[in-house]
Order: sequence, then C-alpha cells, then structure tokens
Amino acid sequence: MPPGDLERALCGLEFPTDPNLIVGLDRADDAGVYKITDDIAIIQTVDFFTPIVDDPYWFGQIAAANALSDVYAMGGIPKTAMNLVAFPLKDMDMSVLRQIIQGGLDKMKEAGVVLVGGHSVEDKELKYGLSVTGFVHPERVLTKKALKTGDRLILTKPLGTGIINTAIKGGLASGQAIEFVTHLMAALNRDAAQVMEGFPVHACTDITGFGLIGHVAEMVVDSGFGIGLWSEKIPIIPEAFDYAAMGLIPAGAYKNREFREGMVDISSSVKQAVLDIMYDPQTSGGLLICVERESAGDLVNELKEKGIDDAAVIGEVLSEPKEKIIVS
Amino acid sequence: MQEIDARGLACPAPVLQTKAAIEKANPNVIKVVVDNEASRQNVCRFLESRNFETSVQEEGNDFHVIGKLKEGISPEISTDKKASTDTKKIMVMLTTDRMGFGDDELGLKLMISYIKTLKEMGPELWRLVFVNNGVKLTIQGSEVLSVLKEYEKDGLHILVCGTCLTHFNLLDKKQVGETTNMLDIVTAMQLADKVINI
Repeated sequence: MPPGDLERALCGLEFPTDPNLIVGLDRADDAGVYKITDDIAIIQTVDFFTPIVDDPYWFGQIAAANALSDVYAMGGIPKTAMNLVAFPLKDMDMSVLRQIIQGGLDKMKEAGVVLVGGHSVEDKELKYGLSVTGFVHPERVLTKKALKTGDRLILTKPLGTGIINTAIKGGLASGQAIEFVTHLMAALNRDAAQVMEGFPVHACTDITGFGLIGHVAEMVVDSGFGIGLWSEKIPIIPEAFDYAAMGLIPAGAYKNREFREGMVDISSSVKQAVLDIMYDPQTSGGLLICVERESAGDLVNELKEKGIDDAAVIGEVLSEPKEKIIVS
Repeated sequence: MQEIDARGLACPAPVLQTKAAIEKANPNVIKVVVDNEASRQNVCRFLESRNFETSVQEEGNDFHVIGKLKEGISPEISTDKKASTDTKKIMVMLTTDRMGFGDDELGLKLMISYIKTLKEMGPELWRLVFVNNGVKLTIQGSEVLSVLKEYEKDGLHILVCGTCLTHFNLLDKKQVGETTNMLDIVTAMQLADKVINI
C-alpha cells in the first residue's frame, strides 16, 4: 500500500508490547525482532506480491529474494520460511504454480533456508511470497535509527527496477533490460550482509516499495539527524533513464513523492530524471548501509570484490538540518 | 484533433495508447484525457519525448493533456522509419536447430550448412532471429557458434529469444547475439522487406 494510506490505517491503534520486543511496529523497521535469550533474538518478516516478470520460475526466485532481504537488512541470518500462495485455480495451469515454488525453493536453498510449511488460497490474482524467520544476536540488531553525523550511506544495487517493470508491463522493455533486471531482483542481499558484518555499521535497511527517498526518510524521521544524498553518485540502471523520459513511471513513484517531498530539499543542479528514479519503488532492491565515515571506502571495495559491482557511497548523515533530506 | 480517452486506466496503459495513436496517425495535435496525476505526468513526459509541446487543462477530476507537435519536426518514430532505405532488408527467423523433418542427424548437418552459407545473401541479410529450439544454436558447444560470432563482428544483428533461453534454462549459456523479446521480434518483422522462416 502507498505509505500515507498505511500510516492512516495504523495511526492511533494500540499494539501490545513486551519487554523482550527489540523492534516492533512502532519503529516502522524492516522486520520484527524478539529476544529469546541473551544470545538469540528471532527476526520475523513477511512479503508477497503479484508477478512482475512473465517467467514463473524467475518470479518465484525474485519473490523469495525480496522476502529474505528484510532479515539481511536487520543484520540477521534467515533460517526458516513458509510459502504464501494465492492462485487462480480456474484460469491457470498448476504447472505455473509448480515453477514459481521451484524458483522460491532454489532461492531458499541458496540462502541456506528451509521451507517448513505454507498456506495457499484461491484468488483471482496470482500472488506469491514468504514469511521468513531468522536469527540475530540481540546486541547486533541493525535498525534504521542509529545514525551518527558524518556516517556514509552505501547502496548495493542500482535503482530503476520499478520503471523497468512498468516498461515490461507495457511490452516496451528491451530484452537486455529484462534480463538484467530479472537477475538483479533475484540476487540475494546475503553477500552484502556478510561483508558489512566486519565493519562499524550503525544502521541498515533495504530499498523496496517506498523508493530510495522513502526509505531514507524513514531513517531520518525522529532521528535528530538529516541525510544528504549525492544524486550523481547513485547507481542507476541505464535503461531506466530512457523509460522514465518516455513516461513509463509507475504510479507508486508519484505516490512516494507526494508523501515525502515536504521533507526533501533539492539543489537546482539535480536532474529531473534522477529525481524520478529516486522515488521509484524497487522490488528486491539493495541494502542501504550506514557506516562510519572512515570505513566507507573499504566497505565498498570489499563489496565489489564479492561481485557487488554497483555498490557506491551515495550520501552522508548530517547534523543539520534535522529530519530533512538534502539532494545535491 | 485526435482525442484519446484514457480515463480509468492504470499506468502504463495511457502512455501505450498515446504511443499507438501517434505511430498510427502521425497527428500534429493530440488530446489525451486521463483521470489521475501519475498518468497526467507520464503522458506529458511521453509526448515531450516525441517532440510535442504539452499543456494541461483540469476539468473536474479529469486532466486534458494537449500535445502540439513542435514545428518542423516530425515525431521521433517516423524519422526512424524514414532513415532506412536503399538496401533491401532480409530477416531470417530460425525456429529450430534442425532443417526440415525426418532424420535429426541430417537435419542438424543441413542447418549448419545453411547458416554457413547465409553470408551469400550479402548486405541484404539484415537480422537473424533465433526462437524456440533455434536458440540452442547460440549456446556453448553449438557447431555454428564461431560462424555466428563472425557474422556478428561483421555487423549482422543477431537476436535470441529470452523467453526461450529461460525456458530451456540456457540464459547463462548463450554465447552470441542480443537477448530479445517478442516486441523486438514483431517490430523487426514489420521493418523487414522480407522475412524467411526456417
């Protein structure tokens, strides 16, 4: 759901709490975290959506990678998962579902996650995703909210998947763009998460439906800090520029902008196309890692050594202006 | 003035309708009616990318987007089409890795020979498109790989169906040509002067 609508629905509701709850709903974070012992906390998250690519096997992989990503973004390791399936039994052959689940399974295998069950319903529209449980040490939980002035922000996947997916829907995406974006969305954030374990990382999130600016906004709200984003340093899928100029921008990007533009200051040198892409909702996007300034260069180098070629430093944490995003 | 009613449609449908209308009728002025902000901005962006000047009138809950073609410029797509003239363009579509029916071994031999001999078409050979079992000719271990790579180096456009590669789980094994989709193939067919189907 668009960010504003969801906040309206939840606003004022009282959620039960518990002293062992480390991250709950009030924090608007990637996943919930609950302490079991002094050494172990569990991370729980769920995510499912309608197909974004035509190929069912790849759709399964992408949906699984997307659901697993929230656990990596909290600094944890995913362990078990359950399938969530909504399937139009009357209109589609069961072999389609089989391929989707095969794709999901292969991705779980790659992540070292076991499938322990699932739930399926009949629905007019196909949907697939996972509910995932992971583990983390209670003191190593990475939330969105432990920023420090001068920290650098590192993004690990290029932006533009929402725009390319809109072009795919319109039958206007090039074969090359489809292939690139399919592999990109299916790529796990596991390697990036493993690399960041060795660095002084203060906060982390993954970039998904709210777009880069939406997720950065969640970091700065109530944090006491601001964030500066360097538009020319942001990795972007090249074709996204062409499709954005053609008006193949998903409605979600406009909703994201409407909701957050009040807290964004934009320098006049920023290109309109880049700004559009910064609001573009991502599917299974990269991690946004907030790391101590001195370690940022080394972290990017190590990410690149692991094959995460697009990783780049894209901004910094500012002491002023508080709770604003400055795009230059 | 051409008018399109794209109300009630979600992105990217209004842009697609506008695109189709421009490409079909080459209008100088076009009006597109949409009923949401995202479609308004997307249709404006699209028209501007095709050299139209845009203005928007709000009427109740609707937006009337008016595009006027800038003087002296035709929409980008039509200039594209005019640019291609002189040499005839032959597109060869290979839907199989065997030539003809009957003996498979013979079929493969014939196909190898056919691809090697294709160069005799000279500069008129414009595009080579591989679909279905045909994509197996473009992967590691294919006996015509070196010939195809040679063709590609000489500037021949080789397109390989992405859906087919994915279906056979060969996406990573493709060694030559550009992965393509059905829209590219259909467009190529339309632009070609002759399509040969094997």
